[in-house]
Amino acid sequence: MGKPIATVTVLHADSLYAAQPKIYPREIGGRFARLRIVAVFALLGIFYVFPWLRWDGRQAVLFDLPARKFYIFGLTFWPQDFFWLAWLLIIAGLGLFFVTSVAGRLWCGYACPQTVWTEVFLWIERACEGRRNQRIKLDASPWNANKLLRKGGKQLAWVGLSAWTGFTFVGFFTPVTEIAREIASFDLGGWEGFWIVFYGFATYGNAGFLREQVCKYMCPYARFQSAMFDQDTLIVSYDVARGEPRGSRKRSADPKALGLGDCVDCLACVQVCPTGIDIRDGLQYECIACASCIDACDEVMDKMGYARGLVSYTTESVSTGKPRHLLRPRTLAYATLLLLLCATFVWGVGNRAPLIVEILRDRNALYRLASDGSIENSYTLKIVNKTRSSQHLHWAVVDNEHARIVGLHDATFSTDDVGSLPLTLRAEPGALSGMTRIKIAVSDDAGMLTTLQSAQFYSPETR
Amino acid sequence: MAGTVPDDDPGAASPAVARIGAIAWPSFFAAGVATAVFFALIDPVELADIAWPRVPVPREFGYTIGFFMFWGATFGASAFTALLLSRPADRRG
Repeated sequence: MGKPIATVTVLHADSLYAAQPKIYPREIGGRFARLRIVAVFALLGIFYVFPWLRWDGRQAVLFDLPARKFYIFGLTFWPQDFFWLAWLLIIAGLGLFFVTSVAGRLWCGYACPQTVWTEVFLWIERACEGRRNQRIKLDASPWNANKLLRKGGKQLAWVGLSAWTGFTFVGFFTPVTEIAREIASFDLGGWEGFWIVFYGFATYGNAGFLREQVCKYMCPYARFQSAMFDQDTLIVSYDVARGEPRGSRKRSADPKALGLGDCVDCLACVQVCPTGIDIRDGLQYECIACASCIDACDEVMDKMGYARGLVSYTTESVSTGKPRHLLRPRTLAYATLLLLLCATFVWGVGNRAPLIVEILRDRNALYRLASDGSIENSYTLKIVNKTRSSQHLHWAVVDNEHARIVGLHDATFSTDDVGSLPLTLRAEPGALSGMTRIKIAVSDDAGMLTTLQSAQFYSPETR
Repeated sequence: MAGTVPDDDPGAASPAVARIGAIAWPSFFAAGVATAVFFALIDPVELADIAWPRVPVPREFGYTIGFFMFWGATFGASAFTALLLSRPADRRG
């Protein structure tokens, strides 16, 4: 087990950047590895499958950028609803804070796209190049047919997966069946093609090439997560009191007689670490809480016949013998805020206006004098029907007996229709002077969807 | 390609990779947010009608141009910050 371990070579004592040898994470099974596999399948399943689901004869989840409409199952979001999408992002952010304060970097270890895709890229690497020792040997060996085949196969699979990922990503923004058809007939639009390549390239670069460096050098969460930590947050930690002094020994030996702690110094925890740190040095910001070292150490403890948990998920309080508090001001505050935001979101999205009505003045003339002396103003009436059914709508002046609508005053709008219609208001000669605000009501036949909007009416000053 | 483990591997972080990452990623993120907010309020087609009425600009093209314009600006700002914060000792690496 005396393999050279991955170490971080610091270039300059006070430099942020470090050159480091390649990290070869060793494969490990165990409780937390199984949990991660479940997370990978669930999350990537959602990503790869969702664009193909159908809902009401359209793609179930589609952020239709060309049409400027977002569909999420039964909900439709318009550009006017951007506020609620931003709200949703705030909820997601706060959710992350809450989870972090309770359970530490759960996000990093199991749910971050960086972790999830890197895991899959590692599976491919393992399938093509073998286990850790075989990979190290392969990299050190001179180029031959075997190495070329294994490395080439890996690259081919990586590029394939990246391309599929890029395709799926674009499938969230343009109907996926359309892109599939376009690709099948070699007729892909330039922009879709560009974004498939761009996102595929980003996947390849991040999961195949950069890996743990994204967590170390680029991730802002890694730098500020400590602000959400307290002594009751779950962290991966090494039980120093129990483990030290570390040292190798025979399985039959009595550690007490040798003056040793429970750590057999096998370095399994270091070899499995995807970021190449030694958890026995204490909590480090590079630790993404993937718990691979717990799995590795548990396996060794089992073999040695020692109790598990030399490296474990624990809190600072528990490891210093104090009780663990799940309910504490920090978690309660996050939870309350989160509940409030969620409730507001559900209420707000459920109570969005079913109609959007806008009255835009035509920009040419302030007013027009008709032959009988009456004054006309013209507008563009914009109506968006956000209901699920076709609506017959009519509009009328509600608060001014001197002004009336001439010409078109009703129309039918199919669902999701954005209509732009000419609207003309006419006032009797001399009835109005200067600028008057005139309220116009747009409503359906049943009078359920009444929306009021005001228009500015200009007429000559009569004084 | 050298045969030794660390040398021939592009995965090993060079200071340059780390520095470019620290510039590219935050600027990419900021550009993404800016693009989302900007185009939620403004339809690229309407913008193009005002700016270049004679050139047909499809929405996808508008979004793409907008995103890269934002990324260009944020990347420039990030790179400038990195330059100002780096000391001669860093640049030798």
